[in-house]
Amino acid sequence: MANWDDLQKSSFLESSARERALGLVDKGTFTEFISPIDRMSSPHLPVLGEAVEFDDGIVVGVGLIGKKPVFVVSQEGKFIGGSVGEVGGAKMVNTIKLAVDMYDKMKAENPDLPEEKRPAVVVSFETGGVRLHEANAGLLAHAEVMDQIQDARGKVPIIGVIGSKVGCFGGMGFVAAATDVIIMSEFGRLGLTGPEVIEQELGKEEFDAGNRALVYRTTGGKHKYIMQDCNFMVEDTIASFRDQIAEVVKISIDEMEGLRRIGSLELVEEQIKLVELAAKMQPSDSKDVWAHFGNEKPEELTDMPYDEFMKVVKRYPKQS
Amino acid sequence: MEMETLVGQGREAINMIIDPDSFQENVVGDLKVEDESFGPGAVIGTASLNGEDVTVIANDAMAFNEKFPVVFAGVIGMEEAYKMALAVYNSIKADEDKPVDKKRPIVLIVDTPGNGPGKVEEIFGMNKATGSYQLSLAEARKKGHPIVAMVIGRAISGAFLCHGLQADQILALPKQFQTMIHVMPLTSIARITKQDLERLEELSTTNPVFASGADFFYQLGGLEEIVEQFDKMREKIISHIGEIRNFKSAGQYEKTGPWGRGLLGAEREGRAVRSKVIEQMQKEFDSVADKYISA
Amino acid sequence: MALNELQYEFKVDNPTTILKENYHYGVVGSGDMEVLMEKKDLGGAVKVKVVTPVSGFDKVWERVLKKFVTENSMGDVSLEINDNNATPVVVTMRLRQALAELVKEAEGGDK
Repeated sequence: MANWDDLQKSSFLESSARERALGLVDKGTFTEFISPIDRMSSPHLPVLGEAVEFDDGIVVGVGLIGKKPVFVVSQEGKFIGGSVGEVGGAKMVNTIKLAVDMYDKMKAENPDLPEEKRPAVVVSFETGGVRLHEANAGLLAHAEVMDQIQDARGKVPIIGVIGSKVGCFGGMGFVAAATDVIIMSEFGRLGLTGPEVIEQELGKEEFDAGNRALVYRTTGGKHKYIMQDCNFMVEDTIASFRDQIAEVVKISIDEMEGLRRIGSLELVEEQIKLVELAAKMQPSDSKDVWAHFGNEKPEELTDMPYDEFMKVVKRYPKQS
Repeated sequence: MEMETLVGQGREAINMIIDPDSFQENVVGDLKVEDESFGPGAVIGTASLNGEDVTVIANDAMAFNEKFPVVFAGVIGMEEAYKMALAVYNSIKADEDKPVDKKRPIVLIVDTPGNGPGKVEEIFGMNKATGSYQLSLAEARKKGHPIVAMVIGRAISGAFLCHGLQADQILALPKQFQTMIHVMPLTSIARITKQDLERLEELSTTNPVFASGADFFYQLGGLEEIVEQFDKMREKIISHIGEIRNFKSAGQYEKTGPWGRGLLGAEREGRAVRSKVIEQMQKEFDSVADKYISA
Repeated sequence: MALNELQYEFKVDNPTTILKENYHYGVVGSGDMEVLMEKKDLGGAVKVKVVTPVSGFDKVWERVLKKFVTENSMGDVSLEINDNNATPVVVTMRLRQALAELVKEAEGGDK
């Protein structure tokens, strides 16, 4: 396993799930649960003749950021597209549950628990959603995760981090949207339906899945940043993500609610206004929407380097 | 006997379940949806069930959303999902000051083939809409509202995730009524995973993990009960509401909802490994927890 | 159709065991593999288990593994491999990388 210091400078996009998990918390603090040593691989894949992985494609555990216990879930996109099956799903669900249990225990022992000690959860999403080989189990796990996320509200902040190759799609796109805070790099993608499926549905004329620039304009980090579907956009190193997480966890739990995009009547009412805009505009490309929000030369944003982009970009003016 | 089915008949199903002539569409607490063309694929409203107010949320497979062409045949698009979320949040608001055993039930009548798969949907974040509806249901459930889902037709993938799988308890009509509960049809799974279709069909008789259908979902702890006949839906929904209320009044929330179904999955052995993972993880966590708590 | 499980045992002269109790390396991507190495009292032998969707390459695996074990004089080690159609070149590379990383970590590399 790579050296923690080396990991900090590494590309987040190129890092494995385990490297991300290790690198996003303080040096030497990560304890992995259900690690490869436990050999809890999928019970369903072998009979289908599919290769298994000891960790079932997801790394979970706990580390520290300062004095704060930080539970980490990190998905491995190289293993069956980071898709969620029975074992991986259970690891993800239970990590959030353990964080909430730890909070409840700490709060019971110390009603004046300082914010700096409040446990947090970081999820490094890299997934297409449900693993089809274990379809129903994967689907049920998604529902359990959403349930745990609601349990965590007001108790344990959940920070979604998206900057890996496969992006975050399918049912996990709903889960990511439901977290408190989302941090992306321009290389991350977030949505529901993957580009190939849209091409299948609408035809290549309408949406060419092979057009990388189009794909990133539709669901990539820069677009999500403009739409305020992600809170922060950072550069593609583990350190950049880690620094942003460290900043975010300083925010009080009440202020965290203010960073959400969904999860309350007010937020739904605001999102409905955005959908009204979608209905009115019927945009053929995200660039139309970028222009609508005040970006005069939207076509220049795609290739613009990070620092310049962050300086000039105009975002959707979120109300709540 | 003719092939009976309620597929595509969400509005009919509502009438079969609620007290006669009690449906006030588009009204939930303070909410009054004026624009009938808003989210037409979703039907929301307040009805009376066994004498008490319930919120009803259903799919209308006969509707077409003119603004969002991918939304028809019961598809849950952005407007639909947010409309459903509005119904839930307004239910919560209306009963804010009521004790747990008086929170109004929410009845989900499920017949949906999926979420809106479109370019505009991706640009504007369809995932937020479905996520909203899920979170609203989870919140309502944890605040004490009994939530029952009744699968009358298609309960598919992400659409079932938001419209159904957050319920306290899930009921379904059996396969004979053309109900379809799955992530995707076995033919598509076979194609995408490059598996032999016959092999998958054969395997699904012993392992319910990827097969389609109410009986498989039952084995996995994906639903609580299969309701054999149309005319039993109403009474079963009423009795399950009672059961859920008992659990919640006794503070036993973990016996309902997704986590409760996780326990069923272990009991019925369709998801046996899940509980082993959780148990092992608890052990490993317990052995280091103090180190992190007292950092 | 199921996953193939291949088992091998090797014994070399002057074997030495690994420097850590256990070590894991690799990701089971398409064309790739992971290995779990464990120190085990096997009377100086090395036991290998390979789990792979590919059939018919038993002899190839044997050669590659024997070479690796021999060139590193390994003994009292158990290797468990989850393979996803990795070529012999990739297998050799990954095994070497795994061992090199293990040594680095044992000799003071940070986590």
